[in-house]
Amino acid sequence: MKVFFQKKKIVFHSKLNEFSLKNKFSGSISSFLGKVRPYRDKKKVKFLEIEFYKKMAYFQADKNLKKILSKIQIDDFLIIHRYGKLFPGENIILVLVASQHRKDGLVFTKKSVEWFKKEITFWKKENFQLHSSWVKSEYE
Amino acid sequence: MKILYFAQLKETLGKDQDIIQLKSEISVNELIKELILKGGKYKECFEQMKNLRCAVNCEYITNYNKSLKNKDEIAFFPPVTGG
Repeated sequence: MKVFFQKKKIVFHSKLNEFSLKNKFSGSISSFLGKVRPYRDKKKVKFLEIEFYKKMAYFQADKNLKKILSKIQIDDFLIIHRYGKLFPGENIILVLVASQHRKDGLVFTKKSVEWFKKEITFWKKENFQLHSSWVKSEYE
Repeated sequence: MKILYFAQLKETLGKDQDIIQLKSEISVNELIKELILKGGKYKECFEQMKNLRCAVNCEYITNYNKSLKNKDEIAFFPPVTGG
């Protein structure tokens, strides 16, 4: 059960294979793969820069994933989130969940993705052809 | 004590952290006042605290009367945009 933040690319099929083999006696593997979108308001995104508060991201992720796990039963999970410079089409977040029954796996996948997408201490800057701008928070 | 800055705040201040030595415990409010007194970009950023969030030792705080010690790590940043 691990969370990783990394600069290097996420190779979905190899991570899925490794995780599936590691959890070969689980009844289901659920997955979510988030990607960098190529456009924002019809403007072409050249690349994305992600800055994060590493210590707080690990601390808060651990705390909030434990809260989700207190209500459901899963066998294992792997969450990888990238930071640094990312280009459109690249994978940004991968969530893999192994569980005996699909319902718990899907619930964990949904809740953890929602938390990461809204709450993790990350800030995104989109770089367009002529300018760059920080992505606005949902809480602003 | 370590004071961390992120994202737009880091860009505006032109630095990602300050290290200060506290002679005695101070509150977050008092620290913010000290930062404003530095003037320039600090004044500009910390007078508008409504646009900033604050975390002490990786926990969000809303009570700015919380007292700070030298071993604490305090962070100021704009609302997060998530992953």
